[in-house]
Amino acid sequence: MFLTADRVSYTYKRRAGVESVKALCDVSVSIPRGSLTGLIGPNGCGKTTLLKLLSGVLSPDSGSVTLDGRALATLSKRQVARRIAVVPQETHPAFEYTVLEMALMGRHPHLGPFQLEGPADLAIAVESLSATGTAQLADRSYMSLSGGEKQRVIIASALTQSPEVLLLDEPTASLDLGYQLEIGALLRRLNKERSATMVMATHDLNLAASLCDTLVLMRQGRVLADGRTPDVLTSATVKQLYDVEADVRVHELAGHLTVVPLGRLG
Amino acid sequence: MAPGAQKLTVVVALALFTTWLGAPASQTRNPEFVPHRIVSLVPAVTEMLFAIGAGSRVVAVSSYDEFPPEVRSLPKVGALLDPDIERIFEMRPDMVVVYGSQSHVQTQLERAGLRTFSYRHGGVATTLDTIRELGDASGRRQEAAALVTSLQARLDSIRERVKGLPKPRTLLVFERQPDTLREIYASGGVGFLHEMLTIAGGTNVFADVSRESVQPSLETLLGRAPDVILEVRATGLLDRSGSAGADAWSAISSVPAVKNRRVHLLRGDYLVVPGPRLAMATEAFARALHPSAFR
Amino acid sequence: MITLDTTETDESHLPHRTVAMSIRGRLVSSLIGFGAIAVLTCLLAPLVGTTPISLRRVFDPSIPFDQNVDAQIFFVARLPRVLAGALVGSALASAGVVFQAMLRNPLATPFTLGVSAGASLGAMLVIIFGGTLALGPFSTVPAASLAGAAAAAAVVYWLATRQGRAISTSVLLLAGVTLNSLLSAVIMFVQYLADFAQVYRAARWIMGDLDIGGYDTLIASLPLVVAAFALFALLPSSLNLLSVGKDAAASRGVDVPRAQRLAFFSASLATSAAVSLAGPIGFIGIVVPHLVRLLVGVDHRIVLPASALFGAAFLVACDLLARTALSPVEIPVGIVTAMIGGPFFLWLLVRRS
Repeated sequence: MFLTADRVSYTYKRRAGVESVKALCDVSVSIPRGSLTGLIGPNGCGKTTLLKLLSGVLSPDSGSVTLDGRALATLSKRQVARRIAVVPQETHPAFEYTVLEMALMGRHPHLGPFQLEGPADLAIAVESLSATGTAQLADRSYMSLSGGEKQRVIIASALTQSPEVLLLDEPTASLDLGYQLEIGALLRRLNKERSATMVMATHDLNLAASLCDTLVLMRQGRVLADGRTPDVLTSATVKQLYDVEADVRVHELAGHLTVVPLGRLG
Repeated sequence: MAPGAQKLTVVVALALFTTWLGAPASQTRNPEFVPHRIVSLVPAVTEMLFAIGAGSRVVAVSSYDEFPPEVRSLPKVGALLDPDIERIFEMRPDMVVVYGSQSHVQTQLERAGLRTFSYRHGGVATTLDTIRELGDASGRRQEAAALVTSLQARLDSIRERVKGLPKPRTLLVFERQPDTLREIYASGGVGFLHEMLTIAGGTNVFADVSRESVQPSLETLLGRAPDVILEVRATGLLDRSGSAGADAWSAISSVPAVKNRRVHLLRGDYLVVPGPRLAMATEAFARALHPSAFR
Repeated sequence: MITLDTTETDESHLPHRTVAMSIRGRLVSSLIGFGAIAVLTCLLAPLVGTTPISLRRVFDPSIPFDQNVDAQIFFVARLPRVLAGALVGSALASAGVVFQAMLRNPLATPFTLGVSAGASLGAMLVIIFGGTLALGPFSTVPAASLAGAAAAAAVVYWLATRQGRAISTSVLLLAGVTLNSLLSAVIMFVQYLADFAQVYRAARWIMGDLDIGGYDTLIASLPLVVAAFALFALLPSSLNLLSVGKDAAASRGVDVPRAQRLAFFSASLATSAAVSLAGPIGFIGIVVPHLVRLLVGVDHRIVLPASALFGAAFLVACDLLARTALSPVEIPVGIVTAMIGGPFFLWLLVRRS
């Protein structure tokens, strides 16, 4: 197993006006190298928290996260960043960086403390932008882009880190249907061409069904089920997760499982 | 008269009546009135009252009054920025000395039927006039006239002593950040400090500035090159060394006053209060400027 | 490692300007350009003033310094002033850049977090109540204002780190703004207790004053500013990432708590040194970074050093205006920076919308 979380728990500490929240309780997941894993679950199930633990941004209160046999806690932030990249749900830079500048930020973990980007770094950034179809936007201000364009730039920025693992938090949430399919195709391509390990948290069950070979189902900070997509994604599990009656079957034309919600229960 | 018109007449009559009732008390003053309980918010006027023999009638003073020593035991009622109206009323005064700029305080007091004496800040002539007016207001006209005459005589005698002597170009400093030459405040060409300096036989280097205070930069000081520097301080710390800050001024040693060691420090609140002690202050200036004339 | 099918890549898609103008090139040209402006301004400023002087006399070694008025004007009145202006302008502009990045807010200033209010209170307490606090060559007022600034920074920092190692920027901002209000109220109260002359002195101090008249306070401030700049040098790439977001920075390898602490400490140090030397001169910390960004873009690795250089030139130029425009009356330099900064700000706002 390439990236594993071993019995991790995390509680968000009590802050002004907000009570402490036990986000994850004794969660274990194992991500095989080269897989495209989906993290599925209702709001508040702990998907985002688990992603943050897997990326090392947060440290678990108990348990540990291991990458390729080494515990994340033993690696420096830079070392982790060279191998794991995160695509967050939203990015709001405080200043008007250009698209190229946003992409180049991914090179940070590979540069020394006073080192500036060289031609090789620039080439990697350009490649990443091209891969996400945003190379022609390089000089544009990031803030001036549409939602879909922004998301593709952020994916490019993550790719610039030349990571082995890509963690994505709701990557298609703000995209229209066309872009959803395009990003889906991009992710599939990245996964296949270089056996990139990917973990994707998403609400979009159909996207997960079409892309992911393994799924982890979460509810209220615990893992409900995990395994190969066809084994794990059934109308029974959908009911358990979302309290929703749904029809889950392989769609003839699409060629993969689809989930059609029929109605709320209770 | 129709009922409506009748009502209207009554209303108008009532309005006029209440306006008449609420009118401020008549402003005509009884010239023979002698106040016996005086509250003074102005230290200069307090000094004047004591100097013309009305000191026993002062019942309360401002927070900044220090002279004569008798005032230290008197109750304090605030000052320019924070007069304590309630406390003033508590003193049951029949005359209150206020600053000319405290117009709303004045209005409040007059509405309550109290007589006020309004103080105008100004030069030597204004100060002497104020003493006379105070004499009229407090029933000590003769004593006030005598004080003014004696002050004028002393000033004249100072003028005599320094007549014909060369008038040194003088920088008159009344404030400075201790131990440094930052935030120097000097007297401009207007005001009682400037006038005292002139009587004492000096020429103000900032005589051309028509303001009471000037904050010159070091470049300006070097450019004006005074022959004498007089530093006046009411109280408080000057330099850690306690001297006239010879160390601090030495930074601009090309100024004639510094070069020729003619930097004088004069201490005492009599120097900065435009009141009965201004002749004493003027003499202090004159002694510093023309020591030979006062042997 | 995810690499991509490079046959798809065609660099001719990219505008040539992007490819050619590497960051190294832009950094070097910015440093040279702004450096030249700074050096030129600092060389010319001591030559200009209300009193005409002859450079020949200034540097004439045969005239003893004690008798050389021109030399004293140059070396005692003007030169320390220009150097102080350069130091303070540089410190405030850089601190502005760092605070804006750290707080993720382009409207942040070096004074947002209450450091300058603490400095003002310290100075005011000494001006109004007297006192013999002294720290070596620092005389009373600068020493007290430095102490006040340090205390304010410590309070804000403590409040913002109570929930763990990482600084919550929203708590930091709230703590700073609250402390600012509190200290402003205390300052008003202290002024109320003071007598007239002291209130005037206190009010005047707040308008800023670069006429330091000697090199003592300058030399005393120098280690603080140099230390702050040394720390600034470690920051720029982290600042870029921090300004995108804390999690974004962390996932790209930035040690966020350490970077935040470094940013807060160095910017507070620079601000404290500047304010204790010359009073709280406003607008430098916000006008200069914005002007620089208009010229060189938003990459902090360029904006930070460029702002340091441009800040020096800017304040020296403002002070030149302050001491010559309405001669012989001097305008407090804080008023000049405000009169330039205010309209500039309005223009920025209008432009943005």
